[in-house]
Amino acid sequence: MFEILKMFYAPWICWVSPFIGSILSLFIGGEEDVKLKGVITSTFTGISWIMALLMLPDVLKPRLRDIWIGWITLPYGEPIKAGVLLDPLSIIIVNIVSFISLLVMVYSIKYMEGEYGQARYWSLMSLFVGGMLLLVLADNFIFFFIGWKVVGFCSYALIGHYYRDERKYWIGGPPPHPFEKPSICGLKALIVTSLGDVAMLAGILIIYLYAGTFNFLTLISTTNIWMAKMAANPGILTLTTILLLGGPIAKSAQFPLHVWLPEAMAGPAPVSALIHAATMVKAGVFIVARLFPIFFNGYWINGFSEAFNFFPIIALLVALTAFITAANAMVSLELKKILAYSTMSQIGYMMLSLGVAGMSVNATITGYVGGLYHLLSHALFKAALFLCAGLVIHMTGSIYIHDKGLNRKYTPMTWIFMWLSALSLAGVPPFSGFWSKDEILMACINAGQYGLFLVALLTAGITCFYSIRMMGYIFHLRSNEFKEGHDEPKLMWIPFGILSSLTLIIGLMGYQLGAILHDTFREYFVNVLGISSMASAHVSTSLTKIITPSLSIIMLLIAGTPAYIFYISHKMDSWKLVNRNAILRILHKILWNRWYIDKFYTATFVKGLHLARPMIQKYIEDPIDFSLNVGVPKLFAVMYSGLRKIQTGIASINMLYILIFLTSIVMIILVVI
Amino acid sequence: MFIPHPLLQSILIPLTVAIVIAIVGKKLKEIAGWISCGALIYSTIILIVVGMKIWVNPTPIYEEYMWSELAGLKFGLLADGLSLPVALTANLICAVCAAYSIPYIRHRIELIYGNDDWGLYRFYFALYIFFAIGFTGISLSTNLIEMYLFVELVLIPFYFLMDLFGYIDRHRIAIMCFIWSHISAALFLIGAVLAYVKTGSFEVSALSSLTGMDALLICSFILVGWLVKMAVFGFHVWVPWVHAEHPTCIAAILATIVGLGNYVIVRLLVQHLFMIFKIFSIPLMIWALITMIYGAFLTLAQDDVKRLCACSTISQNAYSLLGIASCTALGVVGGVFYFISHIIGKCILFSVAGILVYRTGVRDMKRLGGLAGKMPLTAALFVIGAMILSAIPPLSGFQAEWIMFVGIFRQGFQGSVIGLLVAIIGIFATFLTLIYTFWPIKRIFFGPLPDELKNVKKAPLVMTIPLLILAILSIILGIYPDILMKFLNSAISIS
Repeated sequence: MFEILKMFYAPWICWVSPFIGSILSLFIGGEEDVKLKGVITSTFTGISWIMALLMLPDVLKPRLRDIWIGWITLPYGEPIKAGVLLDPLSIIIVNIVSFISLLVMVYSIKYMEGEYGQARYWSLMSLFVGGMLLLVLADNFIFFFIGWKVVGFCSYALIGHYYRDERKYWIGGPPPHPFEKPSICGLKALIVTSLGDVAMLAGILIIYLYAGTFNFLTLISTTNIWMAKMAANPGILTLTTILLLGGPIAKSAQFPLHVWLPEAMAGPAPVSALIHAATMVKAGVFIVARLFPIFFNGYWINGFSEAFNFFPIIALLVALTAFITAANAMVSLELKKILAYSTMSQIGYMMLSLGVAGMSVNATITGYVGGLYHLLSHALFKAALFLCAGLVIHMTGSIYIHDKGLNRKYTPMTWIFMWLSALSLAGVPPFSGFWSKDEILMACINAGQYGLFLVALLTAGITCFYSIRMMGYIFHLRSNEFKEGHDEPKLMWIPFGILSSLTLIIGLMGYQLGAILHDTFREYFVNVLGISSMASAHVSTSLTKIITPSLSIIMLLIAGTPAYIFYISHKMDSWKLVNRNAILRILHKILWNRWYIDKFYTATFVKGLHLARPMIQKYIEDPIDFSLNVGVPKLFAVMYSGLRKIQTGIASINMLYILIFLTSIVMIILVVI
Repeated sequence: MFIPHPLLQSILIPLTVAIVIAIVGKKLKEIAGWISCGALIYSTIILIVVGMKIWVNPTPIYEEYMWSELAGLKFGLLADGLSLPVALTANLICAVCAAYSIPYIRHRIELIYGNDDWGLYRFYFALYIFFAIGFTGISLSTNLIEMYLFVELVLIPFYFLMDLFGYIDRHRIAIMCFIWSHISAALFLIGAVLAYVKTGSFEVSALSSLTGMDALLICSFILVGWLVKMAVFGFHVWVPWVHAEHPTCIAAILATIVGLGNYVIVRLLVQHLFMIFKIFSIPLMIWALITMIYGAFLTLAQDDVKRLCACSTISQNAYSLLGIASCTALGVVGGVFYFISHIIGKCILFSVAGILVYRTGVRDMKRLGGLAGKMPLTAALFVIGAMILSAIPPLSGFQAEWIMFVGIFRQGFQGSVIGLLVAIIGIFATFLTLIYTFWPIKRIFFGPLPDELKNVKKAPLVMTIPLLILAILSIILGIYPDILMKFLNSAISIS
C-alpha cells in the first residue's frame, strides 16, 4: 500500500495538493480568522513536501519513471498524455521547491498579519506552488508550459498585491530618482516574461512539428530521427534554439529580458523570497537542464553541428548578465534591489555552468552538477536573505540600506543568520555557496573556456564586495545610536534560521555532497539516458582541483578587503572616494542607471506606444472609417440629389426625355438586329 | 432520454415564448426577462442532451422537414461535432446575457425614456430571443436559403435593439450596422443563388459538386460576404461604432455574430469546397495577420472601455481566421475551438464593461481607477476574461491557441518562406493581446480610487453569477479540452 503510494501517487499528490489548498483557502476563513487561510495553504504545501521527501530515495538510484494519464486527443497523431516524469533532476528540484515554499508560507503567516487582500494572497501563493511543482514534474512540453504560465500569472498578481498603490509601497528612489508603483511593476513582469513565453511556445511547436511528440523522454531518445530532419533545413535548428531560449531568459531574468526583476521587488517580502529568489526564476534553469540532454545528444552523439549553438548562446548571454547585474548591486541603495540583482547574477552562474557543460565533454558532468548544486545553494541562502530583508525592512520602516541601520545587539537572530547567508552568497568556505561556485569555476576550466572563467571569477569578487557592503550598511553603521529594540517574531526568524543553518550544514558536507551528485548524475547520463560514457570520461585533474578554490579565495580577499575597510571598519569613506574621481563618478552613474538598458526599453516601447496610440486612431482608422461610413453615403447623397434635379415637372422637358429614350431604344434595336 | 424533435424544439420553443412575451408581456414586467432567460436555458439544455448523445455515439443527428415542394427546399437541421458545440455555446451565451440584461435594460429604459409606457421592456426580451434562434439556425442549418433566412433573422433584433436602447448616436449607428450586415448577407445570397443555378440544389452538401470557375466565383462571394461580417481589416470599421454604442447586454451577441463567420467558412468552404478554398489560404492568412496586428494596436489606442472590447473582437476573430485559413486539420479544429473560447471570454469582458458603465456611468478609462476594492468579484471576472483572451492556462484560450498554432506552423513549414513568416509573426502577435487586456485592468481596477467613484456599489448578483458560470466553463475546457476536441475531431477529416 505504502509502496503504491510512493511509486504512483506521490508525484501526483505533490503537485495537485497546493491547487486544492488554493481553492480551499478562498472559501475557508473569513474576516476574523484570516490566519486560518495561511494554515490551510501551509498544510497543503506541507503535504507536497512530504510527498517530495518520499520520492527522494530514488535520487540515489537514478532511473526514469513516466506516469501518465490520457488527456487530449488530436484529429490525428497520437493523443497528448499528461504525465509526471521522475528523475534525479525533477526530484531534487521538487524537494527544494516544496521545502522552501513551506518555510516561506509559515513566515508569511506572521509577515502578512494585518495586511489587506489576504484571501487573494494565500490563494495565489498556493496556486503558485502548485504551478511550480507542476512544471518541474511535467513529462511533456504542453503540461510543463501550463505550469510555466501559471507561475508567471501568479507572479504578476503577487507583485501587484498592494494594488492600491499606496505611497509606502512604492519602490525606487531615493528622491530625486523616480519611483515605481506596484501595479505597474506587476504589469512589467507579466509583459516581459510573456514575450519570452511566446517565443518559447513557438520553439516548442516547431519541435513538435518535426518530432511528432511533446514528451521529454521520447524527444531525448529519438533525437537522431527528428533532429536529422531539422538539421536538413539549415537555420531552422538555430531559430528553434533561440526561440526556445526566450522562455528561460525571460523567466530567469537574464539579459536582454532581465529588466523586470528589480521592479518585482514591489511585492511583499515572502513573495520576493519564494518567487523571485528561490523558485520561479529557477524555472528557467530547470528547463535548460531538462533540454540539455536533447541538444547534447544532438551535437555530441549525433553530430548535428547546429545543435551546438544552444550552449554558447546560453553561456555568453548569462555570463554577461552575471557580470552586469553584479555590478549594479554594487551601487544600489535599496536592500531588496541588491538582492534582486544578486539573484540575476547567481542565476547567470547556474546557466553558465549548464552552458559550458555542453561545450565540451570534459566538463559535462561537472558543469551539470555545478549548475544544480548552485541552484540548491542559492535557493537556500537567497530565500534566507530575502526573509531576513523582509524583517529588516519591517523593523527599520525603510526600504533603503543607508537610511537607518539596525543594532545587532537587539536583533541577534537576524544578524547571525543574515551574515551566514551573506557569506554563503559571497562564496566563503566552508559555506555551500563556496562549493557550488567552485564546481562552476572548475567546469569552465575543464571546458577550456578561460574567458568565461575569468568573467565568473571577477563576478565572484564583485559578489563578495556587495554582500559585505550590504551587511555593513545594515548592521555595522558607524554610529550605534539605535537603541530601540525590535522583537523578532519566532514565526519569522525560525524559517530563515533553518535555511541559513542548512546552508552552513550543507557546506560542511560540501565536498562529499558534490561527489555524491557527481556519481548520481554520471550514472544518470550514462546508464539512464543512454548518453555514452564519453560524457563521463574526464575527471578534473588534481591541479585544477587546487587552482580553482585557491583563485576564488584570493579573489574573495581582493574584493573583500576594500569592502571591509569601507563598510565595516569604516577606515575609508567610499562616497568621498567616488566623488573625488571623475571616472568613478561616471561609472557610478552608469551602474546606477542599470547600464541604461531599462531606460532604453522604456523610451522605445513604452513611450513609443503612448506616442503611437493617438496616431493610429487619427491616421489609419479615421480615414478608412470616414471613407466607408461617411464617404459612401455622401456619394449616394450626391447622386440622388443630382438625379432629383433632372426630375422637373415641366412638360416640355419631360417630352424631351421621352424622345431621347425612344430614340435610344430604336438605335439599340437596330444595332443589335 | 428521448426528446422528440430536439433540434426543432430548440428553435420553435424560444420562438413561441418570444411571441407570447411580445403579446402579453406588458403586464408581466420583470418576469418577462426571467421567462425569456428560462426559454433560452431550456434550449441550451436540449442542446446539451443532444450533445451528450453525440458524444457517446458520434453519428450526427439529422432532422428534416419539408419546406417548399415547389423549389424542392427542405428545412433540415444537422447536429454534428462541428455544429453542436457552436450552437450550444451561442445559446449558453444568449442565456447568460439574458439574465445579465434584466437589471441593465431597466436602467437603460429609465435613462433614455424616463418611463416604460410603451412596454419596451418586453419588446427587448421578445426580440432578444431571436438572436438565439438565429444562431442556432445558422449553426444547424443544412441548406443555404435556410442559413440566409437565419442570418437575416438576426438583423431584425440587431437593428431594433440598437435603435431603441443604444447610446449616443444610436439611430445612425443602428442604420449603419443594418446596412453593413445586409450587404454582407446579400453577397452571401448571391453566392447561394449562383450555387443553385450551377448545381440545382440549395443543399450545403451539393457544394461539393462544384468545380472550376463556378466554384471559384461562388467561393469568393460567400467568402467576401462573410468576411465583411467578420470584420477583417478594411471591412472592420463598423465594429468599433456598433460595439461601442450598443446596449452592453447584447455585446456578446454581436461578438458571436462576428465570429460565426468562422463556423460558416468551415462548414461551407472547408468541408465542401476545400480544394478551391486552399487557393485562398495564403492571402487569407496574410489578411488575417494584418487584421490581428492592426486590431491589437487599435485596441491599445482606445481609452473607452467599450470600444476597447470592440476592437479586441476584431483582433481575436482574426486569430480564428488565421487558424482556419491554414487549411490544416489542427488549424481548423483549433480555429473553431478558439472562436468558442473567444466568445466565452469576450462575453465576460464585455459584460464587465457593461457592469462598469451601469454602476459608475463612466466609460473613459482615464477617469477610472482603483475599483478592485469596490467590486472584487467584477475585477476577478475581468482578470479571468483577460486570461482567456491572452491564452493563460488553465483557461480555455491556452488550449485553443496552441492547437491552432500547431496547424498554422505546419502550414508555415510546408515550403514557402511567407508561410513561415506568417506563422512566427502570428504567434508573436498573440503577445499584444496580453498587453491590451492587462493594461486596462491596471487602469480600471488598480491604483487609487478617484473621488467621483467613492460611492460605487458592487455589481448585482444577477449580473455576475452568470458570468461566473461562463468562467467555470472556460476553466473546465482549459483543464480537459477533450470535451470539445472530441466533437470537433469527428467532424473534421481533412489533412
